[in-house]
Amino acid sequence: MTLNHHNASRLFSAYLDGELSAPESQAVQEHLMDCVSCREAYEGIRSTKLLLRELPVAEPPGEFWAAVRTPQHTASQAGAGWASPPGGRWRGRRLSFLRRPAWALAAALVILAIAVAPLIKGTADRLHATEIGVDLYVREHALGMGAEPLTDRAYLGLVAGDADLVLAGETPRAGGGHP
Amino acid sequence: MTRRLRAPVIAAVLVLLGAGTNFAAPAPFPQGAPAPAVSANEILNMALDAPRLIDYEGTKVITVLRNGRPETITVAESHKRPNLLRLEYLSPEDVAGRLIVDNGATAWHYEPRLNMAFEGPTLQGGLLRGDRTLLRRNYTLVLLGSDEVIGRQAYVIALEPKDVGVYRALWVDRATGMVLRSEERDPFRGIVLSTYFSRISFSLNLPEAYFQFRMPAGARVLSMRTEGEWLSPASLERQVRFPVLIPPVLPEGYTFRGGAVSRFGSLTSVNLRYSDGGNLISFFEARAGSIGWPAFGHPIQVGTRTGRFIDLGYLRVLIWEQGGLRVTAVGTVPTETLVAVAGQIAAGHEQALVRDVSDRVEADPAAVRQLREQGLTFPEIALTFALRQQLGADLPTAVRFVRGAVTLPELAKKLGIQPEALRWQVRAATERASTLSPVRPPSATPPAPVTAPGVPH
Repeated sequence: MTLNHHNASRLFSAYLDGELSAPESQAVQEHLMDCVSCREAYEGIRSTKLLLRELPVAEPPGEFWAAVRTPQHTASQAGAGWASPPGGRWRGRRLSFLRRPAWALAAALVILAIAVAPLIKGTADRLHATEIGVDLYVREHALGMGAEPLTDRAYLGLVAGDADLVLAGETPRAGGGHP
Repeated sequence: MTRRLRAPVIAAVLVLLGAGTNFAAPAPFPQGAPAPAVSANEILNMALDAPRLIDYEGTKVITVLRNGRPETITVAESHKRPNLLRLEYLSPEDVAGRLIVDNGATAWHYEPRLNMAFEGPTLQGGLLRGDRTLLRRNYTLVLLGSDEVIGRQAYVIALEPKDVGVYRALWVDRATGMVLRSEERDPFRGIVLSTYFSRISFSLNLPEAYFQFRMPAGARVLSMRTEGEWLSPASLERQVRFPVLIPPVLPEGYTFRGGAVSRFGSLTSVNLRYSDGGNLISFFEARAGSIGWPAFGHPIQVGTRTGRFIDLGYLRVLIWEQGGLRVTAVGTVPTETLVAVAGQIAAGHEQALVRDVSDRVEADPAAVRQLREQGLTFPEIALTFALRQQLGADLPTAVRFVRGAVTLPELAKKLGIQPEALRWQVRAATERASTLSPVRPPSATPPAPVTAPGVPH
């Protein structure tokens, strides 16, 4: 299957979502290898998708659900000339929540934990990375070897499987692992 | 013989003996006998096409050099066309029960003793690919003879690397094209990997459900996916925000086959893959502070730096640091070749080499730099410009041909030249390119060939 700029660019989104057949995916990969402008376009779509994925899901205020569940009530309020912003009552409730010292302290602790957690996790990850580097790369190499048509898949499964265990923090099996 | 050399040699002998006990040597076609109806090329095609044409279920025995000694693994392997795979490892004991179910996109790995499941990318990325150009370009195909494997008639073909690399022999079933037996031989260490089916059944109409992974109750699930994409070094550099080092030179025939960003916890690495169609060399680059030195392996000189070398058996790993980066090379090429390639990267003469090659090929340094950013080595860049001059082809077409994305007949058709005439012109351009490149591909002289019973030559 051969692709040109036009039909390749139409497939990028489906390719990123894993919706293409194996030959189509292969054709897209081949085209990306050779075409600089398509690679740029592809990266644009890819980073947009990544950004969208990372966006937080906004929690609607409680009144929203109440309004959805009781449309007649909302309609009657609208009919009565309800003009105050929909978040008004909610904001008031949120402020009163923070006025209670115990709750404010708990909220501060939660915020602190959220801020510090990545730092602790980062340090732990770095310590872990010290041990897993070789296994991670051997695993990646083995998966890359899957692209070679004559590589034995059962052997690749053995190599990648052994590396999976080490990366999950398990002891390497006696027959595998490091010298 | 030094103590360091003794262990690998003993291991290699054990592997050879292990391989040799299973089979007799293939019977060569007797002199004067009519030539077989099929060529080595057609037999290779049969082998490469078999997965999309047949279903099978069998028991495979793998013997691999691992950490200096041979290890034998038995696995029940089932395949349903075109790309459904199920592997159940039977022995040795510490791998028994491991299950891998692969649907061509996702591979599930399950460890029953830990009740742990790993989700990762497929192991069969190249199974259905039509890309055989590099394999044909870099390996000489030889029809060795015929042989019998588990009572089935098989053709025996060899793929001999034109440059340094791993020699492969395949026993291809005459009836189905299935590879019933295979051997990979390292020029320095003898057989490093051998596989054979001790039992196999075809066309069983295996149900699709057999190839669907069902999560066992209470299993801990780990997703081991990385961002595996086909990106150029320039694109990778923009993603990871550290300079990506591109090998200036590689063994003859190896070409850039894509790059990816690998993220694991806080460790972000770049992965550059180079292939000769039969084997792979991977380079991984990460910030030096993000990853520690392994406690195993031994020190080795990489250019003027001290690196670390780990011999895992079939695979070799070389690690060194330069310019605030940790570089790790993984491959099956001989240690000397890997060290020579690493030494060229460690030398860090990128800008000087760009200027040098631009002068030699009489091209704008920006154009040379652009080709480097696409992952081409300096000998490949020299060949690209030599081809452009020799054939009058445009630069992208020359690059595609050098990379193996275009075959010689396809290029001949595009340029309106007879394939044989083009072959001559390519040969002339290749000879000229060897004088234009400031760096030469490393080559290692292997010791006297290791012979073993059952190994075709």
